[in-house]
Amino acid sequence: MRAALTGDNVRAGLIGGVVVLYLALVGMIERFQDRDVITGVIGLGTLLILIGLAGTGYMASRPPKPRSGQEPVSANPALKGLVAGAVAGALTGGVILVLELLISAGADVRSVLASVTPGMLSTLEFGLGSFGGAAILVALGAALGAGTGALRLLSDHARDTVTFTVTSLLLMSLLEPILGAVLDGLGLPERWLYQGGGLTVLGAILTVVIAGTARWFWKQREPQRKEAVASMPADRRSLYRKLAVFAAVALLVVLPWIVGSFISDVLGTVGLYVLLGLGLNIVVGYAGLLDLGYVAFFAVGAYATGILTSPASYLVREEGQLFAEKGFTNFWVALPFVVIIAIIIGVLIGAPVLRLRGDYLAIVTLGFGEIIRTLVLSDWLSPYLGGAQGLLRVPPAPPDALDLRAPQNVYYLILVFCGIAAFVAWRLSDSRVGRAWAAMREDESVAEAMGISVIRYKLLAFAMGAGVGSLGGVFFAAKIGSIFPNSFGLLVSINVLSVIILGGLGSIPGVIVGSAVLVGLPELLREFAEFRLLIYGAILVAIMILRPEGLVPNKRRQRELHAREFELGATAPDEATA
Amino acid sequence: MSHLLELEGVSKRFGGVRAVDDVDFYADQGEIVGVIGPNGAGKTTLFNIVTGFYSPDAGKITFDGHNLVGLKPNQITKVGIARTFQAVRLFGAMTVLENAMVGQHPRTKAGVFGALLHGSSTKAEEERVQAEAGAALDFFGDRLSPRLNSLASELAYADRRRLEIARAMATEPKLLLLDEPAAGMNPAEKDGLIELIGRLRDQKGYSIVLIEHDMPVISGVSDRVVALDYGKKIAEGTYDQVAANQQVIEAYLGKSATQETP
Amino acid sequence: MTTPKTSSSRRLRFERLPLRRIILISLSIAIVYGVVAGSAATIRLGTYTAADWRTLVINGIARGSVYALIAIGYTLVYGILFMINFAHGEVFMAGAYTAFFVAVAFGGSGYLNEHPLISIAAILIVSMVTSTLVAIILERVAYRPLRGAPRLVPLITAIGASFFLQYTFRGLYGAQARAYPTINILEGTWTIFGASILRKQVIVIVAAVLLWVALFAFVAKTRTGRSMRAVGEDREIAALMGINVDRTIVATFAIGGALAGAAGILYVFLFNQVIFTMGFFPGIKAFTAAVLGGIGSVTGAAMGGLLLGVLEAVGPNLFLTGAEVPSPNQLQPVVAFGILVLVLIFLPGGFLGAPEEKRA
Repeated sequence: MRAALTGDNVRAGLIGGVVVLYLALVGMIERFQDRDVITGVIGLGTLLILIGLAGTGYMASRPPKPRSGQEPVSANPALKGLVAGAVAGALTGGVILVLELLISAGADVRSVLASVTPGMLSTLEFGLGSFGGAAILVALGAALGAGTGALRLLSDHARDTVTFTVTSLLLMSLLEPILGAVLDGLGLPERWLYQGGGLTVLGAILTVVIAGTARWFWKQREPQRKEAVASMPADRRSLYRKLAVFAAVALLVVLPWIVGSFISDVLGTVGLYVLLGLGLNIVVGYAGLLDLGYVAFFAVGAYATGILTSPASYLVREEGQLFAEKGFTNFWVALPFVVIIAIIIGVLIGAPVLRLRGDYLAIVTLGFGEIIRTLVLSDWLSPYLGGAQGLLRVPPAPPDALDLRAPQNVYYLILVFCGIAAFVAWRLSDSRVGRAWAAMREDESVAEAMGISVIRYKLLAFAMGAGVGSLGGVFFAAKIGSIFPNSFGLLVSINVLSVIILGGLGSIPGVIVGSAVLVGLPELLREFAEFRLLIYGAILVAIMILRPEGLVPNKRRQRELHAREFELGATAPDEATA
Repeated sequence: MSHLLELEGVSKRFGGVRAVDDVDFYADQGEIVGVIGPNGAGKTTLFNIVTGFYSPDAGKITFDGHNLVGLKPNQITKVGIARTFQAVRLFGAMTVLENAMVGQHPRTKAGVFGALLHGSSTKAEEERVQAEAGAALDFFGDRLSPRLNSLASELAYADRRRLEIARAMATEPKLLLLDEPAAGMNPAEKDGLIELIGRLRDQKGYSIVLIEHDMPVISGVSDRVVALDYGKKIAEGTYDQVAANQQVIEAYLGKSATQETP
Repeated sequence: MTTPKTSSSRRLRFERLPLRRIILISLSIAIVYGVVAGSAATIRLGTYTAADWRTLVINGIARGSVYALIAIGYTLVYGILFMINFAHGEVFMAGAYTAFFVAVAFGGSGYLNEHPLISIAAILIVSMVTSTLVAIILERVAYRPLRGAPRLVPLITAIGASFFLQYTFRGLYGAQARAYPTINILEGTWTIFGASILRKQVIVIVAAVLLWVALFAFVAKTRTGRSMRAVGEDREIAALMGINVDRTIVATFAIGGALAGAAGILYVFLFNQVIFTMGFFPGIKAFTAAVLGGIGSVTGAAMGGLLLGVLEAVGPNLFLTGAEVPSPNQLQPVVAFGILVLVLIFLPGGFLGAPEEKRA
């Protein structure tokens, strides 16, 4: 036991306690408690507390890194977890206790810390009042910490199964909006699985049993499976791969009919960010240019579409007859013009700034984004752009017969656009242009010495990004029908950036994953929406520290980010010592 | 007779320091010229000027009939000059083959439309790129060719130097500038290097200018040697002539050393 | 191997067609013309009196002083780590917002106006300590693990940290804007050289100058200051000379944070309000100021801050009223960001810094 009481463990416990307290004080626990994980049994807020405590134990019970010259003193991991968990629980409980005491002494804590509400407090205390709550937190912390620590004692196989089962349970619960809609759409009953926004007890048990047993046997067969795959002839393997791709595409195509209107709408938004992400990926992922003003191209696309197609645009208004019946032209004719305009603007913006160093380029592009937002909002340009009132009456994409504003059809429209963008991105990355970009990313001076005009290729990437971004704007304008300046703020640029970073810079499937997680989830789980940017910020930091290549990494990128140890550093060629 | 590469009166200052001071230099077709001098003499700066990374304050530079002053590095590569760097600078996250393929960039022209449409001419160009890159790598026997798909960062040091040269070769140059190619090599590898440089000239017809500190290598390959010190050219001639030159000895060993009577 | 293709001289010359230079030159001409013509027109119109301009200029100097203090934080961190601490604006916000509660406590009991100097000192200390703590935590958690990473990585981390901090404070303190209680001794005007200037502006300017002088002396004279400069020049050699690099970096962040905390209180004197988003724009403007003055230079940051403040206050009215732009003050971000963009394009080394060597 003595060995478990190390400074490291205590520190881990303190950090864990701070994390749980943070989640409470920032308001997440109370807000998430609105959502049931297992209806009638446990809410998401409480689950967060438990995860926080358990996680502390799990981290603390890590086997110690071997330090040279010392015999690794391995205390029982369950004990280590217990200590850390208990400390975490104690810290949390202690602070809650203090807050309660302050409140009962008459201090208006809530005017300072807005989240210290009765609801939050009772969730943390598990309804047991201040002292009871503190006690139970310590107890839970110790128990969960010991439990997760004990996990370390299991075989890898068993531990993997447990982790998988718990994750599956959580996912099944959180994906209730989607899966519920799918079941509804397919005409199947859902009451047995979901009720009141969360899993039913039956559903939870089923999930645990099925996920657990499935994973156990899956992992058990892993060596044989790997053998089979390795020994498969190459053409067989590529056949399977093609089948997989085909199945994925087929699923994508029928998706809206399975999931219904609301989810199709969400998918439309996810698709928009996939499109924007593909475009920004070319700029940031392929060419290595950090662009924080990507929303500018999105705005240009939307506004240009509005001006060309809306009957309310200044191009159409005539003296005495304020609004014409139709716009200047229709969606499909306007589309190529809008893209070309955006590309030209991209070149104009890019030409002066693309030789700037990374951080400066980031701020400059951010500046451009803000300048454009201010301009479209301004009174000065409102005769042309609508000002704060926006540009209205943008017609949907013709032909009207296809009703391209219905959620399902919107989905197909964005699917087509994404397909085009993905094709472009894929082709470019695997070509002479892509090689030039990769070389440029690693070492600009050497790339220049290899005959690559770096500035020209940067401009190319920027222009392509502008084109794709404007495509997103075109889609957005036609989908929503009215263009308001507030849709084009810095937040959009940051959203898109987060999507591609989470998914993996330079990775096309990564963009899809990133968008699904960062854009799809908040749409479905309203509780997350309130903390969206906080979570984005945390994810950006965490990803950069833990896994900078993203979730679905592009192979080359992964090597780049971890090959530092081998590289001799890229500096300007003033090795003037010769 | 006009030289392949000719520098006349080239100078470059950095602040108060004259890195290159009124240097005349030339290299002829098929010649191997060695450039020596103590650290700080201006040798790499000279390379940087020739390849367009610095612009000279004064002087003329011509290559194969083209004026080089004012051209950007990528344009100079297209004209036919390729270089390696003092510290090996490969694209570590790219494979051996990909590194060499980048070298083919100035000799190809597929752009965005080529990439997207991937027509027959683009396909043919890609095949040519692979072939030429492969041929450049093959020049090094079985050092690089068996490892086409290894990452450049995984290669042993001597192989990394070879890859850098192969990449430069892939640009189909007329003139190769090698910056301290023997640095960090053991004696056996240096012998291999001497043989390699000879082969580069004999089999490929390159003209070569190399900066080196290692005298056996210089004497083993150079047709002609140029010595620099404090940015000025202090000697020129065959290796034996330059090695016996009083100023050169002083530059390397210091004045007092040359005054010691044996 | 095939013989190398010779590029025809014709093709070379076409490549040298300076498209970029044409765009840049036309851009410069357009901007200079616009600014000069607009200003001339405004002056001719005579919409603003000399007193109006004076007010605007002093407004500008006061705000500029705040920007200058924040800018020093950016420039110090950049000088030592070569990264832009995007989250520095939030460091500024954290101090000002936290001190708000202290101010309210004092204000509610009347203590604030009975003992204004002690109260202000207390508020200032709370703000500076909070900001310093946030800066130190930021360095430890988000930046230290990424010391050797490629350029893009710490940049993205800083952006993430910025948003994380903003919304953390939103969660902690609430989303609405809060008004600081009125501090009576700051109200009113003083007459200096015959002009009537708001007291609070004078105090802000004087305080900023004092802080800047103190910092300048610190960096120039003390051991820590020397360590900071040494680490900025060459980290490895500094370490070899026995300087504790980690501690020096922490000190840099701490000092930047403290100054930002002070700037936060000065900002509050001028504008009275705190809200969780208040760090964003001042942060970017302070960065612009730091670049204007030559990033890495403390004097430059201060000068840049003042210059930016004045340009921002005077600019929209001066340049745009004459050009008959309605509500020119709406376009203030355009002026501020426009200056940023122009400075970075034409003067990446800033007005006072060395011009960057033509990219090798």
